Amino acid sequence: MTYKVTEEGNISTVFLNGEIDMDVTEKAKEVILPIVESGKEVHLNLKDVSYMDSSGISVLIESHQKALEKNTKVIVKEVSKSVLKVIMMAKLEQILNLE
Amino acid sequence: MNLSEAKDFPVNTASLKEVRVFSRETFEKINLSQELKDELVLAIAEAAQNIVKHGYKGVEETTDRMEIKISLNDSQLEIGFYDKGKPVVPGNVQHRKLDDIKPGGLGTFFIKQIMDGAVFKKDQEGWVNHLVLTKKI
Repeated sequence: MTYKVTEEGNISTVFLNGEIDMDVTEKAKEVILPIVESGKEVHLNLKDVSYMDSSGISVLIESHQKALEKNTKVIVKEVSKSVLKVIMMAKLEQILNLE
Repeated sequence: MNLSEAKDFPVNTASLKEVRVFSRETFEKINLSQELKDELVLAIAEAAQNIVKHGYKGVEETTDRMEIKISLNDSQLEIGFYDKGKPVVPGNVQHRKLDDIKPGGLGTFFIKQIMDGAVFKKDQEGWVNHLVLTKKI
């Protein structure tokens, strides 16, 4: 997994790339959670994430819940078809902010 | 069509990618939709992850290996997982309730959603656990 972060005003966009599994979830959390904890709005761009398992879904849930605590939000954007299917299997499409 | 492919992997998180590669390469030999292949790869990866995460919980490093065997007999797909981790108590293998939104606890749910059957067998020799996932394809 690789990533890139861009900033625009109070919005940070995290572009994740590759496959998100248990081997990389700590790295993903280390990138995303500090930004959420700073109170910024985070846009998670998943257009280049080709695979995500339950560990990756846990990162999305944890980020979403941390954002609620901090009165901000995480928006999950440009989700690939394969990842969307896993999100829907977990019945999270109404919980997470998907765009 | 009949097919049987097996491979063993070190028990660690870095192996999960290799598990997916092995699974994808095996399913390329079978005439399945891409959607079903993706689902099966996810189920296999989740089961392998459970071995690493739960079977070896508290173990920092191990030289143990786990084996995955994918077999197809006509339209019956069987995927076996062999490991030497902590003995699994099948009754304790449960996923979290979906409306209890929190990180974790979804891997087993995904497996159950995708596969027709998931059974721990006691027929293994030289292994501690033998999980068998089945699906009619």
